[in-house]
Amino acid sequence: MSETVVETQNLTKRYGDFTALDDLSIHVDRGQILGFIGPNGAGKTTTIKILVGLSRPTGGSARIAGVDCSQNASKIKQLVGYMPDKFGSYDNMRVHEYLDFFGAIFGIPGKQRKARIQEVMETTNTTYMQDRYVESLSHGMQQRVGIARTLLHDPEVLILDEPANGLDPKARIEMRQLLLQLAAQGKTLIVTSHILPELSRICNVVAIVTAGKLRAFGSVDDVMSKLCPQRNFEIQVASAEHMPSAEKLLRDVLLDTEPLISSPAELMLRFPTVRSEVELAEFLQKLVAAKLPVTQFRELTSDLEDAFLSVAGKE
Amino acid sequence: MNPQSFFSNPILRRELIGRLRSPKALIAIAIVAIVSCTLVLMRWPREATIDLVSQGSIQVFRPVAYAIAIAIMMLTPAFPATAIVSERKKGTLVLMLNSPTPPWVIYVGKLLANVLLGVLLFSVSLPAIFACYAMGGISIVNHIIPLLLVFLGMAFQYSALGLWVSSRSQSIDAALRWTYSILLFLVVLSIGPSVLVGKLSGIGAWISQALTTLSPIPALQQITGSQGQAKSIGIGTGWVEYLIMSALTTVGLAMATLYKLHPTMMDRARDAGKVIEAKQSSWFRRLAYLVDPNRRKAGIPFWLNPIMVKEFRTRKFGRLHWLLRLVAAGAIVSILLTVVAATGTVNWGVDRIASSMVLMQIGFLLLLGPSLGANLIASEVESGGWQLMRASPIPAWRILTGKLMSTFLTLLLLLLATLPGYVMMSYIQPAIGGQVSNVVVSLLIATAMVTILSACVSAYSKTSAAATAASYAVLLILFAGTLLIWLGRGNPFGPVFVERALLLNPAATALAEMKAPGFETFQLIPNGWYVGLAICTAGLIVLVLRIAKLTRPD
Repeated sequence: MSETVVETQNLTKRYGDFTALDDLSIHVDRGQILGFIGPNGAGKTTTIKILVGLSRPTGGSARIAGVDCSQNASKIKQLVGYMPDKFGSYDNMRVHEYLDFFGAIFGIPGKQRKARIQEVMETTNTTYMQDRYVESLSHGMQQRVGIARTLLHDPEVLILDEPANGLDPKARIEMRQLLLQLAAQGKTLIVTSHILPELSRICNVVAIVTAGKLRAFGSVDDVMSKLCPQRNFEIQVASAEHMPSAEKLLRDVLLDTEPLISSPAELMLRFPTVRSEVELAEFLQKLVAAKLPVTQFRELTSDLEDAFLSVAGKE
Repeated sequence: MNPQSFFSNPILRRELIGRLRSPKALIAIAIVAIVSCTLVLMRWPREATIDLVSQGSIQVFRPVAYAIAIAIMMLTPAFPATAIVSERKKGTLVLMLNSPTPPWVIYVGKLLANVLLGVLLFSVSLPAIFACYAMGGISIVNHIIPLLLVFLGMAFQYSALGLWVSSRSQSIDAALRWTYSILLFLVVLSIGPSVLVGKLSGIGAWISQALTTLSPIPALQQITGSQGQAKSIGIGTGWVEYLIMSALTTVGLAMATLYKLHPTMMDRARDAGKVIEAKQSSWFRRLAYLVDPNRRKAGIPFWLNPIMVKEFRTRKFGRLHWLLRLVAAGAIVSILLTVVAATGTVNWGVDRIASSMVLMQIGFLLLLGPSLGANLIASEVESGGWQLMRASPIPAWRILTGKLMSTFLTLLLLLLATLPGYVMMSYIQPAIGGQVSNVVVSLLIATAMVTILSACVSAYSKTSAAATAASYAVLLILFAGTLLIWLGRGNPFGPVFVERALLLNPAATALAEMKAPGFETFQLIPNGWYVGLAICTAGLIVLVLRIAKLTRPD
């Protein structure tokens, strides 16, 4: 049976008349990765700050491993590893010294700290840069050192604010692998990102917030089917002369709720639909029966970006 | 160059308009106007009698001149010191250097914008200066025009200095620190050889005279008629020499800056971070560094505050190997001073030696203290480190004590530099043991005051550059401002007012205890200590409240 590690119930935060977060209720199980999605100012950072004990909610509650985030902030700091979007580097400090300092302020005793630093550097593949100055590291390297820092006190939950932001494709792949590896080790992760296809590859659950309100929450498939119930199809014909016939045939069978878009330059016809596979097979049969040279008949895959835009676009 | 093309320089227009829009510039200008007018009003004749020798006007003209000079010294270099380095950090410098605008136009625009701001600064005090003229005894040709020319020379010299330092600095706070350190040398230390050693002959005399022309103080002394004392110790330069030197240094600094102002100035490789293992270190390296900054460091031991250790390790300025060199230099100077006085090489009494040592200590404190203290909290907030500390279980009181101790212990180390001199002095003249102890206590209070006040400024600042500038300003007002009032003792300030002002300054307490020239009549102990401790306590309370606010959940 899955164990809920992070749980918010009707979480609300108001600054005077402005409501930054409105009635947010989510839960994340052990070993899961939650993708926390929303435009700038949606309330993501507010939620994160409450979860790490840096902000108090004005309503509702947030709990991590059963500990209330606002009532027991010191316990929460041991349970959570937080990586803000700003790295927080110091001058004249080498990676090893940097990790040693954060280990010390988390109260890890000397010998244990030394071993732990080696361990997290191996996990995050940062051992080779231990003598480099942190301010001289590339952005990708700094992000990995940032994750090593959050792992030092062996927290149950990792909260990472935009970990893939500004990374090159190779560094992004490495980051993705690292996050999956941490989840496999039993860590629970909450990750915010603007790179939504990236999130959909690693997340078990997603939460979409806009204007402080939770718009969708659940597994990626659940959210997709809820927010993007229609499927998109495209049909390509072999030559431009067949385009009018194909278009006419399709217009005859499609409903008003299935607008057909024609792209003569690509020799493509596209339409959204909720029809079953059998009905779609009949479409194809009709096209072939009319002797139209169909070269492609395929479904366009929807992703989190479409789901997010379907919510954000309504704002 | 006609006025239209002069103002068509886009850099000049942007810089000047941008700075005039800043509320800080307007506040600074208003303060200069208010202070200079208040000084005149304090001395304005209230009785219907004629001051036949016109002493009244010169006595008010003098503090007004010095007050404006201090304002120019403090305010003019701040903007140019940040002008180039901040543009480089923001990435706008590379855009300008890659535009068709030649580097000299960029430079002239930045220089003139700042000089014009300096001109505006002393222009607002013109009514006060002409009020002195109206009182009689002040000549436009002999006093006012030379004074304004000296102010203009200062504005050019310090703007060129700030821009030169800015072109060579990697961070805004380092630029500010170096600019004010060089300014301290130009204004005060350059007249040091003449003041400390007295009349010299031959090449020594020529060098010490040339050095004095770097400082506007002899020029101001000549213009305000207070050159008698300067002449007695061999300073024979005046405002004409200062203007020539100012022009030469401005041109020299401009050429050096223009040489640097090139797109290649952005080419810097990332520091590889080479580590020196203990066994690899050569004897020369060990001797040169004492504490090698590149040596591999051990983990932070449990009995040390990690915040304090971090501060010691990460500061850019005041790292241990430099501090130890400074301490060694201070110790050598203090012992030398004592030895040359004891052996009769110079005709100095204990009071003069002790005063020199106190001034050296205060110089060190004011040079290092604001910069160290100002970076304690503001730079942490700026870099994002504060957020990480808040997310850790370390309590607020440990953050505060770690940060304060890192600065206090550093400054204490500097105080120790002159301890050998004081010990030797007590050995030569055992009767002054009590006075020396009192001086040490006063210096300890000064150290605490510098630490706490600069940390307070830091806690309320958003950026480390603003915190550094504000800390220097606050501490210079406290330490140099009260000495300015002391300079006007007798006229326009009465003895009671001067004594009350000096109570705010622990350096004055130490100088009065050693009966330094000009301080013989003041008895500032123990009241000076009480005032100093009260300021420290008030500052500490403000700091604790601020840290509590910054660390608690929003």
